[in-house]
Amino acid sequence: MNFKCPVCKKEWKNSLQVARHMFGTGDKPHKTWVDEQGKTQGFTFIDLMIEQATTPGNKSYVMLAELIEKAQDKL
Amino acid sequence: MEKQLLRLTVNGQEYELYINPKTLLVEAIRDHIGLIGTKRGCDTVSCGACTVMIDGASVKSCSVLAMQAEGAQITTIEGLEKNGKLAPIQKAFLDHGSYQCGFCAPGMIMSAQALLNENPAPTEWEIREGIEGNICRCTGYNSIVRAIDATAKGKYAEVKS
Amino acid sequence: MNKYTVINPHSEFKVINTHVHNIDGTAKVTGRATYTFDVKLPNMLYGKILRSPHAHAKILKIDYSRAMELPGVMGVVTGKEDTLGIKQGIWRRYQDLCDEQVLPVDKVRYIGEPVAAVAAITEEIAEKALDYIDVDYEVLPGVYEPLDAIKKDAPEIHEGFERNINVTRHIEWGDVDAAFEEAEYVREDWFKCGGQAHMCMETRAAVSSYTPDGKLTIYHSNQSPYYMQGLMAGVLGMREGDIRVISTYVGGGFGGKFELDGAIFCSAVLSRKLFKPVKIVYTREEDFIATKRRTPMFYYVRTGVKKDGTFCAREAKVFTNGGAYTGMGATALYLTGFFHSFPYRWKGYRYDGYRVYTNTLPSTSMRGFGAPQAMFCSEQQIEWIAADLGLDPIDMRRKNSHHEGYEVPGQATIASCGIDQCYDEIRKWINDKGKLPANRAIGISACGFMSGGIFNWFDTPYSFSSAVVSINQDGTVELFVGAQEIGQGSNTTLAIICAETLGVKIEDIKVHSGDTDYCPPDLGAWGSRQTLMAGNAVKMAAEAAKKQLLEFAYAQSGFNIVYDLDIKDRWVHAIARPERGYDYGELVKKAIRGKDGQKIVGRGYYTPHRKGMISPAYSYMLQGVEVEVDEETGKIKLVDSMTAHDCGQPINHLGLIGQLEGAFSMAAGYGYLEYMPYEDGKLMNPNLVDYKMIRATEMPPANIAEIDTYEPEGPYGAKEAGEGLTNPTAAAIGNALFHRFGIQMKECPITPEMILNALKEKKETEKERKGKK
Repeated sequence: MNFKCPVCKKEWKNSLQVARHMFGTGDKPHKTWVDEQGKTQGFTFIDLMIEQATTPGNKSYVMLAELIEKAQDKL
Repeated sequence: MEKQLLRLTVNGQEYELYINPKTLLVEAIRDHIGLIGTKRGCDTVSCGACTVMIDGASVKSCSVLAMQAEGAQITTIEGLEKNGKLAPIQKAFLDHGSYQCGFCAPGMIMSAQALLNENPAPTEWEIREGIEGNICRCTGYNSIVRAIDATAKGKYAEVKS
Repeated sequence: MNKYTVINPHSEFKVINTHVHNIDGTAKVTGRATYTFDVKLPNMLYGKILRSPHAHAKILKIDYSRAMELPGVMGVVTGKEDTLGIKQGIWRRYQDLCDEQVLPVDKVRYIGEPVAAVAAITEEIAEKALDYIDVDYEVLPGVYEPLDAIKKDAPEIHEGFERNINVTRHIEWGDVDAAFEEAEYVREDWFKCGGQAHMCMETRAAVSSYTPDGKLTIYHSNQSPYYMQGLMAGVLGMREGDIRVISTYVGGGFGGKFELDGAIFCSAVLSRKLFKPVKIVYTREEDFIATKRRTPMFYYVRTGVKKDGTFCAREAKVFTNGGAYTGMGATALYLTGFFHSFPYRWKGYRYDGYRVYTNTLPSTSMRGFGAPQAMFCSEQQIEWIAADLGLDPIDMRRKNSHHEGYEVPGQATIASCGIDQCYDEIRKWINDKGKLPANRAIGISACGFMSGGIFNWFDTPYSFSSAVVSINQDGTVELFVGAQEIGQGSNTTLAIICAETLGVKIEDIKVHSGDTDYCPPDLGAWGSRQTLMAGNAVKMAAEAAKKQLLEFAYAQSGFNIVYDLDIKDRWVHAIARPERGYDYGELVKKAIRGKDGQKIVGRGYYTPHRKGMISPAYSYMLQGVEVEVDEETGKIKLVDSMTAHDCGQPINHLGLIGQLEGAFSMAAGYGYLEYMPYEDGKLMNPNLVDYKMIRATEMPPANIAEIDTYEPEGPYGAKEAGEGLTNPTAAAIGNALFHRFGIQMKECPITPEMILNALKEKKETEKERKGKK
């Protein structure tokens, strides 16, 4: 199955690519969506992005990918 | 400080100035006499944009007081051409593209001319040393070195009939 | 001294690529050229700017009553009292990135930022008055390095910019992870690239004159009068058309003079308050601490290749020190990411760039526009990979290089590319040298650059370049361009294109530029855009004028219509019978009469369309430098250099050589001399004694082999030549050190201290290794 970006509805084959797309675009709507998700868990878009950029591994991407997967049903 | 009367000879012309004795030569030339061909690029005697000749030798005109140049022959960039004819060094700069923005050119040309006055047949290294005090941010200097070399070799000399 | 050769010359032109003197040369070598620095208007006042001593502070109160009491002081302006407080930026399409009040209203963000400005009858009095302006600050904690500024507890520099992230940029093509899977060898490195001062010989300078009829005239040393007009209209709440910007002679730009600076803004605000012309000229120190600089960058590069040297994938993460404001830094963040891929084909490429606010001098564009940093990292890592795999570094590069017709996925199509021949030329140069003395080594570096950007963040409704050609009755030509001459020779280059197209002589062309009242709008001198973009506009305008002339020539010739007429060297003739013709001046007179006395006028314009994301065309080059190192002191000396260069069809022969030599000297300075150390936000060497740059004695020969290719999008096949050569040298010097000592230089400029440290470290590692054995 394809995964949709919860904001702009563009599709990719896996959720990790959607996560990359969300970081890469980084405009207000995308940022806001991630910030909303993070409210309960105590992180922001920028937190995840900096974590991704400064530490090895893909922790932030994987985390965001999971959120994207969860959100697919509502799209 | 009290102003003083000063007589400066620039490009063969005598000027009477009534100025503060602390006035730098570059200020006298630019602001009081109005010869604005001479430029200024720093406050630390580092860039050479204000170079003029005093009795044929190159001097950074921000490094001396106007008073110190009294009685001497001062030459600025405006004094090189004669009756609308460019001096050989100016022709050489033109022909080799030895300037770009042109802001360093007046000082650079005066350093080059002074070098040739002192040493009519400089080696490449002597040319480079001769203009070491002049910064050019645009050209990378090599075209300037070529122009000075060609001038020294007589390529732009006036043919006498 | 220098060798200049052209490989495969293929064209016959009358004016193009001939030995044409710079058309403004006589003015420049005789001292007649008048810069903003020299402008003096009747009734003119002199302005000085009070600057912040703090890197980060709130402005609580400014009291200038004591200053006003000084005899000769005419007025003081502050951000709060005398400006609209509009946040401006050159990325004016994006509100978020307009973040700079040139005279800030309530907060300063770097040492040297303007706080107030004063006008007086002499410069001395204005300077003295600064001491009588009392400012109350509330000093805030500052942060100076991007990797500190992104920390959770770092001070907030701009409200709402979480963790001080100013702009992010992402470039990606191909399946990067899959491409890394294919790789048999992966290498990752961290690099740190320094800033660099533009160090224009003419410091920032402006003379503004606001008159009671509501019009503002500004003499200003800049790279784009049109941008200045637009930006000033924005911050002053005026109409563009009521502002005239004049920039006749400009003492250098190099990417630092197309944003609003304190000189233009403060002089205009003072003049509007006082209704007198106000002149502000920066001192050299002000120019160092309070303009902008090349963007310092932290680069992480991971590259995957096959064992045979085939490039698979590359991933880069970059943090740039943005300083206090955005300016052109946002573009530099994008371009460094794109040119980091150059000039190679990557199956997968991913770039994540983060521009971070800090309490330091804002960083921006500077000649090379992010690419010198990108190449310093890329070209050294590639050299190390070749060594790791035991491959020839030239062969490995060649195997992976761009070629004509290559498409950088989703980004650009390469229509002309001479890099392949560049490898041959540099190989030959190295081979001809034979064995080098023991203290010398050669390093090489490849790169490419754009010929103008396809970006419209300025949000102009005008075409990117425009030109008007107007022919007088005697055949002389007035060429009006908005392109800006800053020393790079654009007026000459455009005159050459105009003369070639019309078929007249170079001395027939008079170029009018640097005046928004009389010249058509044009984005100006940046991103190596003028030869291609303004060049195309001029060519179109000249062709339009020529067509009107030839219509009359056809009408009166009585030739069979299959014959083509042309004008060359002022000679109107049938192409098939060039010996039978007549003088072009005669034709012009007739044509004007035939048009009921109207002048012959041609108009041209250029805006890139369907040319990808970055630029309509790309230049290519490979450089070799021979470096001598003193092992005792770590001092570097450049002994010789050779650049093989592809700029399409060379237009301005002397100008091209000058641009290549000049860019090389600036690049060499960036590689090993020009260093901007900051301590708690304070620049430690803001003068020309301590800020070292290349002088005549340090400059090596700059040999050039020009690869003559044809770029279909450029005028007569031309593309970029002024900027690209700033890119390769730092890496080439690093590579020479690698070959000489086996040390890897991950920081630039490469100072003697760094070399000595690297040598020491290397000795210690060797000792340890021996100990273990």
